[in-house]
Amino acid sequence: MSENPPLLKLEAISKNFGAIEALKGVDMEIRAGEVVALLGDNGAGKSTLVKIISGGLRPSSGRIIMEGTPRDFASPAEAKAAGIETVYQDLSLCINADVVANFFMGREITKRFFGIPILQERAMEAVVAKALADAGTRIPSLRTNVEHLSGGQRQAIELNRFVHWGGKLVLLDEPFAALGVEQTRRGLDMIRQVVARGIGVVIITHIMAQAFQVADRIIVIRHGRVAGDVRTDETTPEQVIDMITGGTLSGAGKGRDQGNSSPATGERESSQ
Amino acid sequence: MTPARRATIEFLLDNLVWLMLIVVLIVFSLTVPRFFQFGIFANIIEQSTFVGVMAIGLAIVIISGNLDLSVESTAALAAMVTGLLFATQGIGLGIALEPAWLILPVSLAIAMLVGAAVGMANGFFVVRLGMSAFIVTLASFIWVRGLVVAISGGRSAQSLPAAIRVVGTADILGLPLLAWISVGCFVLFSFIMAKTPFGRYVTLVGGNLEATYRAGINSNRILFVSFVLAGLLAGVAGWLLAIRTSGATANLGVGMLFNAFAAVVIGGVSLKGGIGKLPGVYAGVLLLYSIHTAINLMGLPAHYTQMILGALVLAAVLLDTLKLRLREKLL
Ligand SMILES: Nc1ncnc2c1ncn2[C@@H]1O[C@H](COP(=O)(O)OP(=O)(O)OP(=O)(O)O)[C@@H](O)[C@H]1O
Ligand SMILES: [Mg+2]
Repeated sequence: MSENPPLLKLEAISKNFGAIEALKGVDMEIRAGEVVALLGDNGAGKSTLVKIISGGLRPSSGRIIMEGTPRDFASPAEAKAAGIETVYQDLSLCINADVVANFFMGREITKRFFGIPILQERAMEAVVAKALADAGTRIPSLRTNVEHLSGGQRQAIELNRFVHWGGKLVLLDEPFAALGVEQTRRGLDMIRQVVARGIGVVIITHIMAQAFQVADRIIVIRHGRVAGDVRTDETTPEQVIDMITGGTLSGAGKGRDQGNSSPATGERESSQ
Repeated sequence: MTPARRATIEFLLDNLVWLMLIVVLIVFSLTVPRFFQFGIFANIIEQSTFVGVMAIGLAIVIISGNLDLSVESTAALAAMVTGLLFATQGIGLGIALEPAWLILPVSLAIAMLVGAAVGMANGFFVVRLGMSAFIVTLASFIWVRGLVVAISGGRSAQSLPAAIRVVGTADILGLPLLAWISVGCFVLFSFIMAKTPFGRYVTLVGGNLEATYRAGINSNRILFVSFVLAGLLAGVAGWLLAIRTSGATANLGVGMLFNAFAAVVIGGVSLKGGIGKLPGVYAGVLLLYSIHTAINLMGLPAHYTQMILGALVLAAVLLDTLKLRLREKLL
């Protein structure tokens, strides 16, 4: 539908853990400036898919094509270099270090003296202070170790990290799981903010309302396969639940009349 | 609590071992006859050199989340190689260089190389092959000592040339050169750990290996380099020890591992990894040797030292736990 190749295209991605087939041939596309919500029951394979895109896992077969070029990420470092930022389901912070060290992990500002890189703590602290202030995140001191922060504050650091670093594609694996109402609203705002910059976003969530609130498209994974790929404004939460469960809960099935689709709103009940 | 007060408490907790050192020095000065003299203090710093230099590398490995039990044997190997090549009596080959001072950098480079080689072997087995650091370095502790006995045939090398012995005898501004060397090493590596990306990564990797890998840090390289540094510094410690004793015996340095470990733990490095700072380790070494010295001056039998040091290590670990609790309450 457009001349440009999609930002990311997955072709027949599969992944086995020994005898377990976590993914059984997943095809999907993500365009720049688009938010895709990845839905599916526990154990459906969502996190595995995210880890494959972010370089943490190698697919057993299939191709990853980024902006038209096939890529094979051997490590998160390579995916990161290609512009893929990830917020993992289990947070990846070093709680023994302070907020600034975590924010800059792996990308510290340094200045070379006689060829030796020296950390520029003041400059880094200023950047973090600004990033957190812009996002409305309140943390008492940037020099406290992360172990002393609340779960929500920790998640906020990770979220601010991706907003700040951006890149081309952001993968969010249940990013709001530890956040309160107000912080979640801010988080959703952050997603819109990065999308406006032309960045593609994939967000995994179990909360239907969130998916309808923020996503342009919903992709449902079921038992390691794509069970549905629909535009948010052409579907309803009931239909999506059917795709997630295989149509066993509402009994309505997938083929229900597409005509009565209603625009996405946030006030729908969530799936859980 | 006001931020200023909190900062003060944080500062005190972070530097508790320095506080302890000062208290201990004051108590000894008041109670132990002949303790309060410049010569005694200079002597404490000088004696701390060997274990101190070794403890730097050990601390780096422990902060990175691993463990190195082999440093003592590695130091002995470096000392024996130095003695074997350059000593003029015993099993020493008495290699002479022209000009004579060249022996200094050459022997140091060889000792560092020997140490780094052992460190690389440890790093290879632990990081590449994923074996337990405890087992790998315990094995090294044994085979490297075995190698020392093997290459020396159980005999000793004596009499290093004067050009190299100056390192063990010279004074600068009233302090022995050896003392300056350990202070210099601590300043250098404290700087590296606190101010360079490498030092930052050692701490981060020790805190959460997975997170650093995901963040694109080459965490395996950091772990490997930590082992190499520990070996290299153990090599330097062995070189200094050989110079100090003007040669090497097959059982040189036995017992240093315990002292280095004690200093590291007393200095506030957590065996869990990710926590600890090198200045604290230096305070730990100084504390250790202040106690050694005081016991000597009081004329107590040496085995008391061992009991006291054992108790001190226990106290240090206990203190670590207490500090954590205190922090949780206060912050
Ligand atoms: N490292 C692994 N080794 C073996 N099996 C794994 C591994 N990682 C994931 N799996 C399996 O792969 C399947 C998919 O797991 P995945 O974590 O991707 O699910 P998910 O959709 O993210 O679920 P959730 O909503 O609970 O986070 C599960 O059956 C899981 O047990
Ligand atoms: Mg998951």
